Amino acid sequence: MSTQVPEQTEEESSADTESQSQSAAQQARMEKKRDRAAQRDQQREAEEAEREFSEDGTYLLKVFRYDPEIAGKQEPRFDEFHVPYHTGMTVLDALMYARDEYDSSLTFRHSCRQAVCGSDALFVNGRQRLGCKTQLSDLEEPVRIEPLPHQEVVKDLVVDMEHFYDQMHAVEPYFQTNDLPEGEQLQSRENREKIKMSTRCIWCGACMSSCNIAAGDNKYLGPAAINKAYRFTMDEREGEDMKEHRMKIMEQEHGVWRCQTQFSCTEVCPKDIPLTEHIQELKREAVKNNLKFW
Amino acid sequence: MSQSYNRGLIEDFGRWKEFSAGMWAWIFHKFTGWVLVGYLFTHIAVLSTALTGAAAYTETIQTLESLLVVRILEVGLLAVAVFHILNGLRLLLVDLGVGLHAQDKSFYASLALTGAIVVASVPTFLAGVF
Amino acid sequence: MAEHYSSFERGGRRWLWQRITAAFLVIVLAFHFFLLHFVHHADEVTFAMSSARMEQWTYYSLMILFLVTATFHGVNGVFNALVNQGIEGTRKKAVKWTLVAASLLLIVQGVRTANAWAGITLLPF
Repeated sequence: MSTQVPEQTEEESSADTESQSQSAAQQARMEKKRDRAAQRDQQREAEEAEREFSEDGTYLLKVFRYDPEIAGKQEPRFDEFHVPYHTGMTVLDALMYARDEYDSSLTFRHSCRQAVCGSDALFVNGRQRLGCKTQLSDLEEPVRIEPLPHQEVVKDLVVDMEHFYDQMHAVEPYFQTNDLPEGEQLQSRENREKIKMSTRCIWCGACMSSCNIAAGDNKYLGPAAINKAYRFTMDEREGEDMKEHRMKIMEQEHGVWRCQTQFSCTEVCPKDIPLTEHIQELKREAVKNNLKFW
Repeated sequence: MSQSYNRGLIEDFGRWKEFSAGMWAWIFHKFTGWVLVGYLFTHIAVLSTALTGAAAYTETIQTLESLLVVRILEVGLLAVAVFHILNGLRLLLVDLGVGLHAQDKSFYASLALTGAIVVASVPTFLAGVF
Repeated sequence: MAEHYSSFERGGRRWLWQRITAAFLVIVLAFHFFLLHFVHHADEVTFAMSSARMEQWTYYSLMILFLVTATFHGVNGVFNALVNQGIEGTRKKAVKWTLVAASLLLIVQGVRTANAWAGITLLPF
């Protein structure tokens, strides 16, 4: 969202095609394309300029506060912070500014700031999002920042992730196999492609927090853990025995069957993993396996 | 962590304005499901007046059908059944892994189609009651 | 996986049957509504007409199958909704057997009614 890479490739590719063919129709098309690109740029610049100079140039944050250890802060409340806006500012940037400049007791998790570590999943304007991947300019004011729902709050925006990690560990989230080949264990391109999206999970817990069923049924493995199981179940290098072992975990009453295909997890996943699709595929896999053995 | 703050129901239906298509589809499907299973029991109970005799049965049904309220409730039942059928088809497709990317559109489509079918059926359902 | 205690018993088989009955019910429920509200009209229902339909064994068996699948689909749906809410232990067992009892009662009553129309006196009550 913050990089300018796409524009560059567009220029390159248009240069390429220009040198190849110069038919009139092609030229006209390229002309139109350039016009559209220019228009887009203009519009974007105008929007940004407007945003920067509108009102007093600050964004209003309403941040959930709660501290069980200090007498006056045990009752949850919302604090307001007016954070000066700069182009490209993310929710995490704003929170860090508020902490560094206004209230050093404001507590939240963050680390890499580039959507890789999965520490800063927050409930922003009523939706689970990664603080570092969410542009303030995409949000309506005031920006309401809360800890992830359906998890116990430890302090301010920090939630207890223990239950989430338990779920992840329940599916044995590591590669294991009992048929070791002689040399390197190579994966086919097709198989890599199949599990590609599922490997992108960063354990942020946004999906679990968004899942209505995981909220009600504590034993449900939840979308992240099932996706992790999918990543290994579908990895052909683990072999048939391991696949069967993994399917047994998935087939429990509180495994894949609890998913009600609400698509909440798929919609909030900051890494765009098609979680529902993966869960559904495991359901069908389980049915197929068991029909075979009847 | 027993002392940490539990935000209770605010985390669920208090957030209804933020629900997305898939979530609404689930809520409607569950609601219509409850209505239908409730109706199934009532339906059999009413029909079993046939056990006491032919006249009693005909009498019961025709009395019920002459009431405007019953007719209106029947239209409601039709709406509920049609939505459950159409969204059920959508869910069967989702289970087969078909069109998962259009799951929100198929929900809106089943809503619209339900509305259309119900409106078109109103004359048939209310005929003769006035 | 062929062992008797296969975990598939616990959730998967019910999941699959819920879908199979769904596919059947979609068609039969639509047919049921169409036949009794559009072909015939609800206010014209008489014992004799119901009886005439039920005396055909095809219609009779379709309706019995409709009753059984609808009961399973509905009651299983209710049970699933409760499991999703996290119901467990004794309460879960109690709910399960209450639902099973209610289903049996419904099916018996439904079959008796159908028999009354069809003029079948197989059951001794």
